[in-house]
Amino acid sequence: MPLEATAPLAKPGRAAAYLDWLQMLTGAFLILFMWGHLLMVSSVLFGRGAMNGIAGFLETTGLAQLGGPVIAVAFLLHFVLAARKIPFTSKEQRTAVGHAKMLHHTDTWLWIVQVVSAMVILVLGSIHMWTVLTDLYVGVPGSELGINAETSAARVQKWPWTLLYIVLLPLAELHVSIGFYRIGVKWGVIKRKGRKKAKLIEYIMAGAFLLIGTATLIRFLLMDVN
Amino acid sequence: MQTIFTDGLCIGAGLAGERAALEMAEAGFEVICLSLVPARRSHSVAAQGGMQAALGNCAMGEGDCPDVHFEDTVKGSDWGCDQEVARTFVDTAPVEMRRLAHWGVPWNRVVPGPKTYYKGGKAFEKVEAEEKSGLINARAFGGTAKWRTCFASDGTGHAVLYTMDNRAAQLGVTVVDRTEAIALIHDGENCLGAIVRCLRTGELVTYLARATMIATGGFGRIYRNSTNAVINDGGGCIIAQDTGLVPLGNMEAVQFHPTGIVPSDILVTEGCRGDGGTLLDKDQQRFMHEYEPEKAELASRDVVSRWMTHHMRQGKGVQSPYGEHLWLDIRHLGEEHIRTKLREVDEICQSFLGVDPVDSLIAVRPTQHYSMGGVRTDGTGAAYGLKGLFSAGEACCWDMHGFNRLGGNSLAETVVAGGIVGKTMAEFLAGCEVSFPTATIRDIEKREQERMDGLLSNVGGDGEDAFQVREAMFDVLDYAAGIYRNGTDLERGVAELQEIHQRSLNVSLKSNGLGANPEIALALKLPGMVRLALSVTYGALMRTESRGSHTREDHPERNDRDWLNRTLAYWKPGAELPLLEYEPASPSMAIPPGDRGYGGGKIISADEPKPSE
Amino acid sequence: MARTLRFHVFRYNPQDPASTPHMDAYVLDETESMTLYIALTRIREEQDPSLMFDFCCRAGVCGSCAMVINGRPGLGCHTKTADLPERITLLPLPFFKLVGDLGVDTGTWFREMYTRVESWIHTEKQFDPASEEERMDNETAEQIYELDRCIECGCCVAACGTARMREDFLGAAGLNRLARFMIDPRDQRSDKEYFDVVGNDQGIFGCMGLLACEDVCPKHLPLQDQLGYMRRKMAMNALTRILPWKK
Ligand SMILES: Cc1cc2nc3c(=O)[nH]c(=O)nc-3n(C[C@H](O)[C@H](O)[C@H](O)COP(=O)(O)OP(=O)(O)OC[C@H]3O[C@@H](n4cnc5c(N)ncnc54)[C@H](O)[C@@H]3O)c2cc1C
Ligand code: HEM
Ligand code: HEM
Ligand code: SF4
Ligand code: F3S
Ligand code: FES
Repeated sequence: MPLEATAPLAKPGRAAAYLDWLQMLTGAFLILFMWGHLLMVSSVLFGRGAMNGIAGFLETTGLAQLGGPVIAVAFLLHFVLAARKIPFTSKEQRTAVGHAKMLHHTDTWLWIVQVVSAMVILVLGSIHMWTVLTDLYVGVPGSELGINAETSAARVQKWPWTLLYIVLLPLAELHVSIGFYRIGVKWGVIKRKGRKKAKLIEYIMAGAFLLIGTATLIRFLLMDVN
Repeated sequence: MQTIFTDGLCIGAGLAGERAALEMAEAGFEVICLSLVPARRSHSVAAQGGMQAALGNCAMGEGDCPDVHFEDTVKGSDWGCDQEVARTFVDTAPVEMRRLAHWGVPWNRVVPGPKTYYKGGKAFEKVEAEEKSGLINARAFGGTAKWRTCFASDGTGHAVLYTMDNRAAQLGVTVVDRTEAIALIHDGENCLGAIVRCLRTGELVTYLARATMIATGGFGRIYRNSTNAVINDGGGCIIAQDTGLVPLGNMEAVQFHPTGIVPSDILVTEGCRGDGGTLLDKDQQRFMHEYEPEKAELASRDVVSRWMTHHMRQGKGVQSPYGEHLWLDIRHLGEEHIRTKLREVDEICQSFLGVDPVDSLIAVRPTQHYSMGGVRTDGTGAAYGLKGLFSAGEACCWDMHGFNRLGGNSLAETVVAGGIVGKTMAEFLAGCEVSFPTATIRDIEKREQERMDGLLSNVGGDGEDAFQVREAMFDVLDYAAGIYRNGTDLERGVAELQEIHQRSLNVSLKSNGLGANPEIALALKLPGMVRLALSVTYGALMRTESRGSHTREDHPERNDRDWLNRTLAYWKPGAELPLLEYEPASPSMAIPPGDRGYGGGKIISADEPKPSE
Repeated sequence: MARTLRFHVFRYNPQDPASTPHMDAYVLDETESMTLYIALTRIREEQDPSLMFDFCCRAGVCGSCAMVINGRPGLGCHTKTADLPERITLLPLPFFKLVGDLGVDTGTWFREMYTRVESWIHTEKQFDPASEEERMDNETAEQIYELDRCIECGCCVAACGTARMREDFLGAAGLNRLARFMIDPRDQRSDKEYFDVVGNDQGIFGCMGLLACEDVCPKHLPLQDQLGYMRRKMAMNALTRILPWKK
C-alpha cells in the first residue's frame, strides 16, 4: 500500500554540497574583508594621515584596484548563493515571521535579522561600493581621485548619503556577526558545550564593531572637509 | 464499506505483533499490522528494565543456562504456568536476543575488569571476564537467581521496538496506524479478519485475512490506576471474547506494582527501596516493619503492595485530590546517591511531580502493572476456539507467566512468542485455503455499523455518560479486584458490574462523535471493558485460593489440590456473566509444585485429601 | 497553589463540516503535581468529551503528546502546570497534518522519513542462530543508543524554520536518524551511499543552523553536534570526490 508520500526522493548529486561550500567560503571571505575594511576605515580615528596612508598604500600597490572588483564579485556570488535560502514569496515570508513570533526563540529571530539585513545590505552596499570604487563625485569641490579621508568625510556628511551609512553600519555589523556565529554552528565548530560562550562572543563582537564604526562615522561627520 | 485483503493481519504493532509480522513477511506473505498509534508509540516502548535470556555472559550471570531460567520462571508463576511453553521460551530467548543484536539493537556489552555494584545499599565488587568482552551484558532483576536481564541503557523497550519497526519498514510490512479493530469476522469456525474503525475519519473498514493475530498488549486501563499506557484498554481481548468461542485465560491474575507515583501512575523502580528508601503514612511514620519485622520495605513486590493497601484501609493513607496514597521517602539517602545511583527516579520526580526527592517525599500507591491473562492459545500460538486466529504478547495467555510474571520475562516473551507464533502463522498460511462467505461478512459489517450509527443518531440522548460508567467500573475493581480480594467484596463487585454492564450498553454521546472524537471510541469499547472487568472479578470470586498475584484474604493458602489449573472465561452471546471452565495448569510438570522460596504462605498440596463434607 | 488556570485550546475537527478553526477556553483549578496530561484529561472527562488530543505513555517516552505550549513545541505529559503562567495556550504542532484539535499525524511523516533514510542496518551478513553474537565495544553501543533515543515526537521539526518553509526537509530527527546508522559498525553503507540520502538541500545542506531543534528536543538529543558533524562529513565527502582518483 502506498504511503501518503509528501516528498520525492531527491536525485543524488553533489551540487548542493559545492554550493554550500561556496556560500560558507564567500561568507567567510566577506567577513574577513568587513573586519579589515572597518579597521582600515576607522584608522581615520587616528587622524587623516593614518587613513590616507593606508588608502595610499592600497592604491599604489594596486590592491584597491584588484580588491574592489573581487569583493564586488564575492558580494554578488554570496547573494546568489544565499538567495537559495531566502524566503521570497510572501507566503514563505509570512510563515517565517509567524513561526519566529510563535516560537520566541533567539536563534530563529537572529536568522530573520540576517535575512532582512541582507536585503538592505544588498541595495545599500552595492550603492556604496559603486560610489567608492568609481570615486563618484558627490559635490565636494576639489576632492581628489582615489580614497582619502576628505572625500570620505564629504560623502558621509552629504545628506542623504549620511543616512545610508547610519542604516548600513548597524545592519552590516549584525549580519556579519550573526553570519560568523552561524558558520560556527553549521559546520560544527561551535558545539553544544561552547554555544553559550560563542553567542556571547558574537554579541560582544557586534557591539565592539558597532562602537568603532559609530565612532568613525562621528569622526567623519565632524571632520572639517575644507 | 471499504474492504482490504491480506494474507496475515496483526492487530497490534507492538513488539509481539511486529515480530510475528516479520516472520510472515520473510516467508513471502503480505502482512498488515493495525495499531491505535504509530507502531513506535506502542507500549512496549515504555519498558525500561530489560528482557531476560540466559546468555550467561556477565560475571554475575556465570553458570546461567536455560534450566536455571526455567526454574525461576516456573517458581515465579507459582506453578500456574504451562511448563512446556516456559521451556520453549527459555530455550529460544538467547537466540532472539542475538537476532535482535544482528538487526541493530544497541545492547549494552560486557566491559572486562573489576566493577562495583550495589545491593541493599551496600557496595560489592565483581570482575568481568576478559574472554566475554563485547558480548551482550545483563543486569539484575527481581526474582532471578542470576543476572540475566539484557538491556540497552535505560530504554530497552524503546531500542528493541525501534529496531523491530525498522526491520518491518525494510521488509515492507504495512503498519496502518490510528486504526482500531472493533470486531473479529468469523463464520463460527474460522477467523476471517476484523472490522476496523479508522481513528482519523471514524469510518469502518473491513480487513479480510487468511490468518489473524491479536497482539494488542495489556488491558491495565480497566483499572483506574495503572502503569500501562492510556491506550491499553484490552481491545484485542474484548473482540476475541466477543466471538463467544474464544476463551480468555486466567483473567484474575493481575500484577500490581507497589510504587506508582501519584497522580500520573508512572512507575518508580524498586531500587529506591532496595537502596534503603522507606514507606511512610499520613503521620509520616514508617509502617512496613510492623507488618514484616524482618524484611520491612525489602519484602517482595506483592507483599509490599498488600501491606500498603492494608495500611491505607486502616485510615493511614494521605488524602489528595487524586485519591489516597502513601509516601516514599529517600531523602536520607543523600543528594549524591539520589542524583547518580537513582537518577531515573530523580528525573521522574522532577519532571512529572515537580518535587525534588532530595528534600521532598514522593507520593506513591500500589498500581496495576501487568495482565497475565489474555487470549488463550496453545503452545504454537493458535487461539482456542477459532481456526486462523492467533495471539502473542501481553494480550495473550500463552501461558509462561501463570499467576505472576517475573520482571524482564514479558518483554522477552513478546519477541520469543512473536517469532514462534509468526512461524506458526506462516506455516498456516502456506497450507490453508479460506473461503470468505460474503453473507456472513456483510452481517458482521452491518451489525457493527448499526452499533456505531446507534450512538451517532442518539447524540445528546438521555442515556448514560460513558466516562461516568467507566468511573463506576473503576470503583468496583478498586475495592473488589485489587491486590486483596475476598468473597464478600467480590460477590458485591460481580453484582455491581453486571448492572454497570447494562448501563454501558445504554450510553448516549454528549458530543457529535465525528472523526477522531474520543467519546465515541470509548462508548464503543466500554461494554467490552466491563466484560473484561467481570471476567477478572468473577474469576477471582470463584478461585478460592491465593496463588501468585491473586490473593484471597479468606483463602490465604495456595491450593494445589483444587486449583492447580487455569481459568478459561468465555462470554456467550447475550450472557450476563462469563462462562468459566478450567483446564490443568500444565500438561506436564518438569518441576513439581513446591515452595517458591519467597512470599511465604501455606500450601495445600495436591495429595492432601479433601475435607469430608 | 490553588491557582485557577485558563486554558485556551485550538479547536478544529476536519471531519465535521460544521467545524471551523477557533479557540475554546476552559477553566480548571490547579491541583498538586498537575501536568498537561492530567489537566487535559480532566477537561475531556468533566467539561468537553469531544476534545481531541493524543496521550499514550503519559511518561515522556512514546512521543505522542507533542503540542505547542505557550508558543513552544513540547510534550504535554512532561509539562507541569506549575511551570506555566495561569493563562495557558495550547496549539497543535504546526507542519504535521491535523487530525483534530491538538492531535496531529506525526506517524505518517516519520514513516516517510525512515523509508527515505532507509532507517535500518544494511548488511550482507546472514543471521546465524547457532553462533555467538558479534562482539561490540560497549562505548560504541552507548553512543548508538544516545542517538537512538529520539522518540519521534516531532517537536524539532515543528520548531524548525527551514522545515516550515520547505516541506521536503528531512528535519533534525531525520538527519539524526541517519547519523545513528553512520556510527553503527553493523551498517555497511559507504559514505557515498549516506551522501546520496542526505547530501542535498532536502537533507543536511538545507539546514540553516537555526538550532530551534536543539532547544526544544524534550529528550535533549545532541542535535546541534550531530548536524555539524554531518555537514562537515558530507561536505568533505563531496570535496574529495572531485579528485579523479577518488571517482
Ligand atoms: C511501565 C512499564 C514498564 C515495563 N517494563 C518492563 C521491563 O522492564 N521488562 C519486561 O520484560 N516487561 C516490562 N513491562 C511489560 C512489557 O512492556 C509489556 O508486557 C510488553 O511490552 C507488551 O508488548 P505487546 O507487544 O504485547 O503489546 P504493546 O507493546 O502494548 O502493543 C500493543 C499494540 O496493539 C495495538 N492495539 C491495541 N488495541 C488495538 C485495537 N483494538 N486495534 C488495533 N490495534 C490495537 C496498540 O496500538 C499497540 O500497537 C513493562 C510494562 C510497563 C507498563
Ligand atoms: C559584506 C557583506 C556580507 C557579509 C560579510 C556576509 C556574511 C555572511 C555570512 C558569514 C553568512 C553565514 C554563511 C553561512 O551560513 O554559510 C551569511 C549568510 C547569509 N547571507 Fe550574507 N553576507 C554579506 C552580504 C549579504 C548579502 C548582500 C546578502 C543578500 C542579499 C546576504 C544574504 C545572506 C543570507 C540570506 C544568509 C543566510 C544563509 C543561510 O542561513 O543559509 N548576505 N552572510
Ligand atoms: C570594495 C569595496 C569597498 C570599499 C573600497 C569600501 C570603502 C569604504 C570607504 C572608503 C569608506 C569610508 C566612507 C566612504 O568613503 O564612503 C567606507 C565606509 C563604510 N563601508 Fe565600505 N567599502 C567597500 C565595501 C563595503 C561593503 C560591501 C559594505 C557592507 C556591506 C560596506 C560598508 C561600509 C560601511 C557601513 C561604512 C561606514 C563605516 C563607518 O563609518 O564605520 N563597505 N567603505
Ligand atoms: S530529535 Fe528530539 S525533538 Fe526531534 S523527534 Fe526526536 S525526540 Fe523529538
Ligand atoms: S532548527 Fe532546523 S535549520 Fe537546522 S539546526 Fe535545527 S534543523
Ligand atoms: S504521552 Fe508519551 S510522551 Fe507524552
